[in-house]
Amino acid sequence: MGLRSAFAIILVALASAAGAQEQAFTNRSTELKDRGASDARTLATLPENTSVKVLARGGGWTRVDASGQAGWINVFHLRFPAAVESSGSSGGALGGLTSFLGGGRNTSQKANIATTGIRGLSPEDIKNASPDPAALAKAQSYRADKPAAERFAREAKLAAVSIDYVGDSAKGGRR
Amino acid sequence: MRFALLTAIALACTCANAQFGSLLDLGKKALDKKQQLETANKEFTTDEEIALGEGIASAFLGAAPLHHDQNLQRYVNRVGRWVAMHGERPDLPWTFGVIDTETINAFAFPGGTVIVSSGLLKRLNSESELAGALAHEVAHVVKRHQIQAIQSQASTDFWAGLGQDVVSDRVARSGGGAVTHMVNQKLVDMGANLVKSGFILRPLDRSLEYEADRMAIVIAARSGYDPYGLVAVLQMLAQAHGDGDGASVFATHPAPGDRIAELERLGPSVFDRYGAQPQVEGRFKQIVGAAK
Repeated sequence: MGLRSAFAIILVALASAAGAQEQAFTNRSTELKDRGASDARTLATLPENTSVKVLARGGGWTRVDASGQAGWINVFHLRFPAAVESSGSSGGALGGLTSFLGGGRNTSQKANIATTGIRGLSPEDIKNASPDPAALAKAQSYRADKPAAERFAREAKLAAVSIDYVGDSAKGGRR
Repeated sequence: MRFALLTAIALACTCANAQFGSLLDLGKKALDKKQQLETANKEFTTDEEIALGEGIASAFLGAAPLHHDQNLQRYVNRVGRWVAMHGERPDLPWTFGVIDTETINAFAFPGGTVIVSSGLLKRLNSESELAGALAHEVAHVVKRHQIQAIQSQASTDFWAGLGQDVVSDRVARSGGGAVTHMVNQKLVDMGANLVKSGFILRPLDRSLEYEADRMAIVIAARSGYDPYGLVAVLQMLAQAHGDGDGASVFATHPAPGDRIAELERLGPSVFDRYGAQPQVEGRFKQIVGAAK
């Protein structure tokens, strides 16, 4: 096996050990667009269950690689496979990497956490803690009042608009 | 003398907004405490809810330190307060805190304290995504989901103990005024116990999560953001699915894919109509990126 193939295999192993999954499937027949807009040009029509690689997300449209062709798909037209096990069996540095990207940890990864310094929060941490009213006071000191929030919104040109709730929350929700 | 006393109490009860039901029946001989308990509305008022929520928040913050970056804390508070202004309880003492942990999660406590983790923030791409996540938590508080779960869990023994003090306190301050120090402390302690027992980590009913998601889309759109923000957050979660750490969003919420599918059912009336509203990436990336 050449050095290049070995390197490629290691890269693939690292990518698949990473908790973030890049693979998704179309959940219906859908169009691959050249921009993230419904009136954009259609590059291809993808049948249901087409495997794609997710490149980036952007609101209502997701940028994907469909068999080498890059384009945008409606965010609702993708489904994601069940979680890849971010397992302690990866061991060593890969185990630590999995833990970091996977957003969770189990006891077998504690040694990795010590070395990688990942700061996680467990139910035990929560249940065993003593109340910290000083921390609450500090958190409250960062509160924004309404004028500050309004100024902040104006700075980003966010314009408030009146909209009713939709669906089952529709009762009594008007603003 | 007794008639005057009963009249005064009846008036006080009326002012307390008919919370006391059959207490207004002046035919009863005297205010029998046991009876008071049985007929009193077993629901917390807003002031009580706030005290309880602060007790929960204090205990929770004992477990996870606040992130040291003050700019980050102020930024999340500004986004959060702006979003909360577009829900139906805009005047709660809304407080948003970032805890320094890689675990991905967000929590809403009764009375308007919302905690998000830096683990979540670092995986977001824009302020509209943050707004969507915060709007979901705001919706839980607007609909009183957590406080109702606490109320329905509270036993008769609870209402006979703490509840007795709460009811007496309500009668005493029915003309107005804050919760008394004694009741405040009891509610704060109750909040701490709810954290210690792990009650606050219990998932809410799925239907309440879906409801909070639906409301969040609208609240974010009302605030001027691209309503797809929360959908993008759910997509991130669907891809980052962790190994079920009990304190993470994966343990406490329905599967992200299911939540996305539920949101699609909302239809184009909000998504298409407001889909061109801004995502606001610039200041988000600058502030979150700078926070180590």
